[in-house]
Amino acid sequence: MSERSERTIGLSTSPTSALEPWPETVEWRPVSRDLIWVELIGLASFMIFVFAGLAILWALTGHWIFGLALAAAAVMTAWRVTVIFRAVKAWGYAERDNDLLVRHGLLVRRLSIVPYARMQFVDVTAGPLERSFGLATVQLHTAAAASDAKIPGLPPDEASRLRDRLTALGEDRAEGL
Amino acid sequence: MSISVATAEPRRRLHPLTPLLKGARALVVIIAALSWQTLGRVGLGWFAAMVVAALIGQVILALISWYFTGYQVVGRELRIHEGLVFRRTRAIPLERIQAVEVVRPLLAQLTGLAELRLEVVGGGKTEAPLAFLTVDEARTLRERLLVLAGKATATVPAAEVADGEPAPVAHLERPIHAVANRDLLISQLLTPQTLLMPFGIAFVVVQFASEATWSFIGIASTLTAMAGVLLQPVRRILADWNFRLASQDESLRVRGGLLETRSQTVPLDRLQAVTATWPLLWRRKRWLRLRPHVAGVAAPNAGDDSGGARLLPVGDPETARLVLGEALPGVALDAIPFTPPSRRARWLHPLAWRVLGAALTDQVVAHREGLVTRQVLVVPYARIQSVRVVRGPLQRRLGLATVYADTAGGPSAAARDRDVREAWELAATLAERSRAARSVLAEP
Repeated sequence: MSERSERTIGLSTSPTSALEPWPETVEWRPVSRDLIWVELIGLASFMIFVFAGLAILWALTGHWIFGLALAAAAVMTAWRVTVIFRAVKAWGYAERDNDLLVRHGLLVRRLSIVPYARMQFVDVTAGPLERSFGLATVQLHTAAAASDAKIPGLPPDEASRLRDRLTALGEDRAEGL
Repeated sequence: MSISVATAEPRRRLHPLTPLLKGARALVVIIAALSWQTLGRVGLGWFAAMVVAALIGQVILALISWYFTGYQVVGRELRIHEGLVFRRTRAIPLERIQAVEVVRPLLAQLTGLAELRLEVVGGGKTEAPLAFLTVDEARTLRERLLVLAGKATATVPAAEVADGEPAPVAHLERPIHAVANRDLLISQLLTPQTLLMPFGIAFVVVQFASEATWSFIGIASTLTAMAGVLLQPVRRILADWNFRLASQDESLRVRGGLLETRSQTVPLDRLQAVTATWPLLWRRKRWLRLRPHVAGVAAPNAGDDSGGARLLPVGDPETARLVLGEALPGVALDAIPFTPPSRRARWLHPLAWRVLGAALTDQVVAHREGLVTRQVLVVPYARIQSVRVVRGPLQRRLGLATVYADTAGGPSAAARDRDVREAWELAATLAERSRAARSVLAEP
């Protein structure tokens, strides 16, 4: 009952019904599932060195602590793998009439609302792994350093389309400050 | 990535001498990295060989990067392509370019080349230097970009235009407020540094008296330490002496200073946010301080406390209302209806819960925080750059969320630990209101 009596920054222009928080009513577009592979390979290429280093140390010294570290590393890797699977599914973006929505994060869930009019420039980047899977990352920059609108794992066509749309929509508007 | 637009003009490379110039630029860095110590150990011949090897490597890298760097104008945007392994394409709408500069560093001057620098507002860094082009290329590209951007006339700084106007009589200054030096002195005496100073002195005197070793170095170092502690209040007094605030042409003029008189301009159309601070020791006097956050292409170093602009170094609530009314018309600090976070957030902030708060008025979003030094941040809707909703693991368990409204170069207004449903609503409202406020600004 105390929940009801709480004072809130109550607003008459409520865009949503109380039962349906609005991020669920937006049509989210997922990022490519291939991003899972990109992240997994990235993880694997890092963990190989960790495992090899620990294994060599264990073989040389025979100390049990390295065996323990190896087991810990294996557990951590398994955990990271599950996180990667779920984290890639957590990424999502939506183009609304006036702004771009980006959500991501598993432990800390983040949602960014970036108006097209605030866009300063758009970066399309692709690392070697991403390119071998035919993926690219689009990042929208605003004048605020805290703005956080990065969408990884887009197919190149979609990335180009998104970039063109973002810059075209941004151009209609004024200075952006 | 396939970035091929049929109608676009071809990608152009930078000048072929670029790799050599960049390599030459790296020469100093290479020598510094190898260090003189290495020179002493390996002798001059080997040292020269190492430098040359590193230089050749550098030039080869620069050559590869030159080969894969290109720029093109597509419609009304400039695209810059970079990178062999990590590819990046940056698309900059020409409307967003604040300034285009042709810069000629020494090496470029010797070879008849120039660098084109594009200022974009993103985070205060020069986003896209095109180095190097021939001077003619750079000039024509600059003209072209400015014409396309439709601000060929806007390159003249606004101040110069105002000076050149035949009738500057209309731009007279209108004084708003002057801070009494007595208040300034008292306010700086009421800082922890100054108040704790007598205890420090007493401690040192007792120490010396009991030990009875009055060495010159001991006294000198104690004095320097004290001077260091007192530096900040003294600097503030020096900077804000005879503080006067006036309004002129849509901007606020701040003057003050004892040793050197400074005059700062706060353009109101670039004012992103205002922070009001109530230090603990000023609370009896109900004094507060107002600080503006201005988006600048070249912002002064924000870390220096005495260097940042001040709207009001010290003042009572009435003065603050007057000053804030000039900076953000229609905003009154005491009229902002702060509401505390959700009750479930009490466990997260047992002491500060009462202080934390956020509010929306018809023009601004504001937050309040700080148990000891209370702070209120006011951000007009029209200045919001983006809105974020963040939920940490603990917050999700408690059904809470924090909503941020980001500003350019300033701090973000944060509605901490709101009930999650309220947070979504808040984010939607912020996005909606900032859009409405922007469209009003865009059509004056």
